[in-house]
Amino acid sequence: MTRARRLATLAAVMAILAGACGGAATPAPSAPPPSAQASAAPASAAPSQAAAVSPVPSIDTTPVAITVWDYYGESTPVKPALAGFEKEYPWITVDYQALDWDSMNEKFTVGVSSGEAPDVATLDMTWIPTLAANGALEDLSTISGGQLNGTPIADHYTKGALDAMTFDGKFVTMLFDFDTYALYYRADLFAKKGIAVPTTWDELRAAAKQLAESSKGSGKPDRYLYAIRPNTFHFSQFLFQDGGTILNADNTKAAFNSAAGVAAVQIQKAMLDDGSGLYWPDANNDLLPAITSGQVAMFADGPYYMGLLKTGVPDQSGDWKIAPAPYATQPGSYLGGTGLGIPVGAKHKDAAWLFIQYMLRPEQQVGVFTYAGAAPATTAALESPELTKPDPYFGGQAPFKVFLDSMATSTHFPYVGAWTEIDTFITDSLQSALLGQATPQAALDDAASQTDDALAK
Amino acid sequence: MTWRRRFRGASAGYLLIAPALAATVLFLVIPMVVSAYWSLTSYNGIKPPEFVGLQNYVDVLGNSRFQKAFENTIAFVILGMGIGPALGLGSALLLDRSLRLRGLFRAAFFLPTMTSLVVVATIWKFLYSDAGIINAVIGFVGLPAVSWLSNPTTALPAVVVTSIWQGFGFETVVFLAALQSIPRTFYEAASIDGAGRWAKFRWVTLPALRPTILFVYVIGIIGSFQTYDQIFVMTNGGPIQATRTIVFDLVDRFNRLDLGGASAVAYILVVFLAILSYLQLRIGEERD
Repeated sequence: MTRARRLATLAAVMAILAGACGGAATPAPSAPPPSAQASAAPASAAPSQAAAVSPVPSIDTTPVAITVWDYYGESTPVKPALAGFEKEYPWITVDYQALDWDSMNEKFTVGVSSGEAPDVATLDMTWIPTLAANGALEDLSTISGGQLNGTPIADHYTKGALDAMTFDGKFVTMLFDFDTYALYYRADLFAKKGIAVPTTWDELRAAAKQLAESSKGSGKPDRYLYAIRPNTFHFSQFLFQDGGTILNADNTKAAFNSAAGVAAVQIQKAMLDDGSGLYWPDANNDLLPAITSGQVAMFADGPYYMGLLKTGVPDQSGDWKIAPAPYATQPGSYLGGTGLGIPVGAKHKDAAWLFIQYMLRPEQQVGVFTYAGAAPATTAALESPELTKPDPYFGGQAPFKVFLDSMATSTHFPYVGAWTEIDTFITDSLQSALLGQATPQAALDDAASQTDDALAK
Repeated sequence: MTWRRRFRGASAGYLLIAPALAATVLFLVIPMVVSAYWSLTSYNGIKPPEFVGLQNYVDVLGNSRFQKAFENTIAFVILGMGIGPALGLGSALLLDRSLRLRGLFRAAFFLPTMTSLVVVATIWKFLYSDAGIINAVIGFVGLPAVSWLSNPTTALPAVVVTSIWQGFGFETVVFLAALQSIPRTFYEAASIDGAGRWAKFRWVTLPALRPTILFVYVIGIIGSFQTYDQIFVMTNGGPIQATRTIVFDLVDRFNRLDLGGASAVAYILVVFLAILSYLQLRIGEERD
């Protein structure tokens, strides 16, 4: 990952200054545009679950240039869609800018605060709580009139997705791809060793133990391990799977230090202690090297990892399969992904909304899978043939079904302004418990008290 | 002389410094004033700032993470400044003689300083990784591998080593230049007085280097307090905040849209550095 954040911060300060010294206006071309060929959305807006409905404004075809910030990287589904969009909406030109996921949140924040925000941005769903709580995102319920491509927004998404897109009763983002966890495992090794695919935590521990091997014969397993990721994403998966929650019902107090939270840490600690788990903190960067070397043969992750495996470890094609993640009392995972948002201060909100709608059509949504290997968020795209056909990399399995089912039982992270901070409290407590510096209960209690303080502010 | 005449006399000078002055005011003075104001407000960059007096300073100073960041930074400064300049002086002394390939050594020592810290940190991150060269060497001697950057005990020293490696070339070059400017006659006089190598170093070299040592420490300590890049690349402040530094804390607040808190951290750092630099200069003056 490229991480020249100090420079980015410097640039940020400059940008704030530049913003303070007068914003740059985009000059509008003087020639009148050709008449709109796109049909406006019908005015009869069906009420969506969260939307304050207002009539859809008629389309303004004054030439505009919209700026789009995209963190997808080389495999982006956004860039290939631009030509089609500009053809359909000839009065809109798109200034496409590729950014890093790493620096996107920061640049977005600076952009919004300095009045230099883009018109549309891809945003990680885990940033949405902080951004929305600080008023950085436009209310899409109002801009859209509750309609997406002519039908109610609520008809395009699952309930979990709609919840994730809503802040304070209003849509603040449109889910573009979704992320929810399932179990990736080396099916070839499972077959060779006669291991059954685990469905419960006990079976997971047994399978991990059976799978792990010591290549040097020293007794300490060093290959075919289960990757233990000490972060809130993976912790919350175990937490939800034992019936726990991160915060209490009204988001005012920490709840992750419950018995379920302790159990969620303990199962991971147990796998580290018996040698069947591999401790892999985020600072180690991506897991791919450990997968390539055979150090890791089982891990939990989201659908985007299918694409990473295919491009990163092509010679293990046919070896991997994906199963629903094993659980203690109920299936569960965090629900995240990428949202499309319009920042407060965007200059061309209507054109931006047209762009978002275009990107959420099934044709473009399928691109999320075909270009990026990730999971499109709208239900129509999820049912398309590209996503339901057998995948040779996964031994002829159609793995999307697994993630789709997982999405139904997934929960987004709490929508509180202090989320980014709480996330780090939890991560610290996990690392401290998994590295044996504190008991799981003590570590989680410590994080919970910091969380309570942060929520009280 | 009236003000007008005095100005006219110096007008060419003012004209010449005008661009630099304008840039300084625009990019340094104005942001500093704005930031000072922000530090007294609750401000997220989007909604208008709301005046809260010194509340941000109270919050920051009482915050356990800031305290941890402060401790880490002090440890970073003490370790880095304890070893770095000494290493720089040592290598400068070695190079300050008619050595073959001296130019090559000098360039080699200075090369890391010219390399971007992000690049250096990335290279060291690989060296420190579980399957990296350092662990390979350790394994060769029969010792167990160490997760240098994932272990809260070793992470900070590991980052310090990287910083020293990156920075001591600068100190070497500065010390070498100073060493070469010491008149040789001083050493000759010392020799006549019967001084040995240590006595010459203690009574000739060190006193002559005092301004340079002061310079290296003032610059080095300020730089160490501003440590961020290598932390960001190598550990991202972790594990368990073991490498969180003051500037890391500042950027973290900025990313969480706590611009008031971030500005307060910046000013606490500025005040602290100002006091420290003043003390150092006073110590330097007293000795002279």
